[in-house]
Amino acid sequence: MTDYFVYTGCTTPVRLPAYEAATMAVLKHLGVNAHHMKDVNCCGAQYIESLNRSAFAAMSGRILAIAERFGKDVIAICGACSGSLKHVKHMLDTEPDLKAEVNEILAEEDLEYTGKVEVKHLLQILRDEVGYDAIRRAIVQPYNGVKLAAHYGCHVTRPAEIVQVDDPEVPRSIDDIIEACGGDAVDYAGKVRCCGGPMLAMDEKVATAIGSEKITNVKAAGAKGIVTACVFCNIQLTQVQFGEGGEPKDRIPVLTLPQFMGAAMGIDEETLGMPLNKISPDVLLEFAHRIESKVIRREQEAKR
Amino acid sequence: MGARTETNKGLEIEHTPSSNFAKEIEAEPGGEGISKCIQCGICTASCAVSSFSDRYRPRQLIQKIIIGKRDEVLQSDLPWLCMTCRLCEERCQEGVSPAEIFQAVRHIATREGHIPEVFKSTAEKALSDGWLLGDAYSDFIEDDRDDLGLDTDLGWDNEFTHRLKKKYFSGGEGD
Ligand code: SF4
Ligand code: SF4
Ligand code: SF4
Repeated sequence: MTDYFVYTGCTTPVRLPAYEAATMAVLKHLGVNAHHMKDVNCCGAQYIESLNRSAFAAMSGRILAIAERFGKDVIAICGACSGSLKHVKHMLDTEPDLKAEVNEILAEEDLEYTGKVEVKHLLQILRDEVGYDAIRRAIVQPYNGVKLAAHYGCHVTRPAEIVQVDDPEVPRSIDDIIEACGGDAVDYAGKVRCCGGPMLAMDEKVATAIGSEKITNVKAAGAKGIVTACVFCNIQLTQVQFGEGGEPKDRIPVLTLPQFMGAAMGIDEETLGMPLNKISPDVLLEFAHRIESKVIRREQEAKR
Repeated sequence: MGARTETNKGLEIEHTPSSNFAKEIEAEPGGEGISKCIQCGICTASCAVSSFSDRYRPRQLIQKIIIGKRDEVLQSDLPWLCMTCRLCEERCQEGVSPAEIFQAVRHIATREGHIPEVFKSTAEKALSDGWLLGDAYSDFIEDDRDDLGLDTDLGWDNEFTHRLKKKYFSGGEGD
């Protein structure tokens, strides 16, 4: 089986460490060999990317080259990072001059990008490597049909030719995993639209309006929670619910995919970092797994 | 959904551009597709930023490039408002990517010293620290990581980004 490095990116370890913890726990539980990555740098998304193409290629290129040196493929858990790493891989694989330029800089550290390394978003690992059947088998506390909305994240799914994660207009993978975990995945207006996260730096008002519209649409579809596959999306869709007029009782939990799955797989809430979630996921957990878990516990006790 | 009050004036494009800006964009990586734009406006219609901002319109911005408003476009912060969410690119029937075009504009603008402050300071942070959240990583968060059983030493490398800064940004951005 392939050995993987998890590239967390800059944001997750600081702003959403629970996502990192849940990812490692769920991958381990599902038998994926995933290791932490050290001595890396920011992937360069958005900020360096916007200023200088070569510097951007070098930043993501170095991460790819480090993975190559250790003979591992890369799992990214952030939309921006997976987008950057895949984009830069594509650039380096199709532009020999750029590759030579980047390799010249990498050579100072005895690193080289040759193109062997593969980059996968967590979603691809779960769907293609682990598979929905294995996920279904791992579920011990299903969500019992609670309605949930999937938010994919633009940079996770677009441009489809390069990132190759899912259909850019009708994505299914998060929805399928929601259903494998016993939830009811609902469609909602503007499902493939952005969360507004990338707009925060330039215009917070517009960013919040974009994110709030998504929350409104999700609620209109009857969803009791949102499942995400990108740290920025998760933070943004949580944060917009704390703005003006955001009554605590109206907030709906936003769970990262591995937190959502981990709970259904019986991984304890502490390990998944649930207590750190700004909006308590209890409505979802109670709706499903706590009720179910009592049943399971009774069964287990009976067996003893 | 927010009102999209973009006028259709743009459909009657002046045919004598005031500069070769479109050619210049075309020659920049990412800008290649601009000549295929038929100014249909599907990009603006699918853009989340356009839904909520009354000044950002991707079609209109592309039009400004086509008619050669070089200084105006390069000095404006509009090309920096694109979230590169690529929904427009997905929906454009002509195979044009406004997101890529505006990225090309940003690269040229950067070379001429027009970078919005937040991009400048954030890029500077990435290059000096090697990552973006050095300032935000508090003891408090360290404790959270510890409780989660995660390593508290994040081990980011910044020697490499220092070299990049010297190679690509000396004298320009961030100095
Ligand atoms: S949805 Fe928002 S934060 Fe997430 S990938 Fe898109 S733009 Fe990035
Ligand atoms: S970029 Fe595409 S969608 Fe936008 S105006 Fe041009 S042709 Fe139409
Ligand atoms: S990529 Fe930019 S222009 Fe296109 S829809 Fe997204 S924000 Fe709007």
